[in-house]
Amino acid sequence: MLSRVVLSAAAAAAPCLKNAAVLGPGVVQATRVFHTGQPRLAPVPPLPEYGGKVRLGLIPEEFFQFLYPKTGVTGPYVLGTGLSLYFLSKEIYVITPETFSTITVVGLIVYVIKKYGASIGEFLDKLNEEKIAQLEEVKQATIKQIQDAIDMEKAQQALVQKRHYLFDVQRNNIALALEVTYRERLHRAYKEVKNRLDYHISVQNMMRRKEQEHMIDWVEKHVVQSISAQQEKETIAKCISDLKLLAKKAQAQPVM
Amino acid sequence: MEVKLGELPSWILMRNFTPSGIVGAFQRGYDRYYNKYINVRKGSISGINMVLAAYVVFSYCISYKELKHERRRKYH
Repeated sequence: MLSRVVLSAAAAAAPCLKNAAVLGPGVVQATRVFHTGQPRLAPVPPLPEYGGKVRLGLIPEEFFQFLYPKTGVTGPYVLGTGLSLYFLSKEIYVITPETFSTITVVGLIVYVIKKYGASIGEFLDKLNEEKIAQLEEVKQATIKQIQDAIDMEKAQQALVQKRHYLFDVQRNNIALALEVTYRERLHRAYKEVKNRLDYHISVQNMMRRKEQEHMIDWVEKHVVQSISAQQEKETIAKCISDLKLLAKKAQAQPVM
Repeated sequence: MEVKLGELPSWILMRNFTPSGIVGAFQRGYDRYYNKYINVRKGSISGINMVLAAYVVFSYCISYKELKHERRRKYH
């Protein structure tokens, strides 16, 4: 039956369900409210301490109170005596051998009850109290358990209010990671671009150097080619005569 | 009790004499006796004593027919 209530609640909550019409009969039960009346017998009323009063172990006190207005205190006893004498004399109660055994047994029972009644009562009361203490323990343990569960539930509900801290930390972490990645990629892009530009620069430098060297070599080669043999002889002769002059000058110096 | 003596016949006729009614009456009587004399913290022996005494009287009434022959005198 509970499943039907749950189904009907689900149907009421999500009216877009296609088979909501199938759960029609259950919708009526969803409107029923449980546990509205006052709880009866809660907490359970305690047991009365003593039972009804009984006189002579046989006749309830109410009988004596019933006869008190008309006959006073001795009325029921006189009634009892008169009735017993009447029964005996008219032999409505017949005195048989069983009577004497009855008198003996009843006397014995009364003696035993008068002597040991109180102690037996205490012993039984102690047994009862032990039983009650055990049950009370179970009740207290259950109450404590449920109270602990309630407290834990309340603590968890309080924690829900602090969830936003968690989300803030996560958001910060994600923002940091995004920032780091962005900077990393920026740096890489810069490096790549610089790499390309450096390549072009070095290519240009190399080209210029190569052109310079080639030009120098070309010029040297042509100069060397243009020096004819006759010019070479004249140049060498001039160099020799210059050297000789210089040697004379140089020799002259140290003598001084 | 709450019924006056003059109204007794009409009160008796008003009672429920169906089987469930009779069973209910016995149950109510039993519950009343039980809750007054036995279902208490410090019950005394008179709770059981009264039941036994009632049984003794009842069995004496049942066997009175045979006991009549043991009378000492015939005419009282």
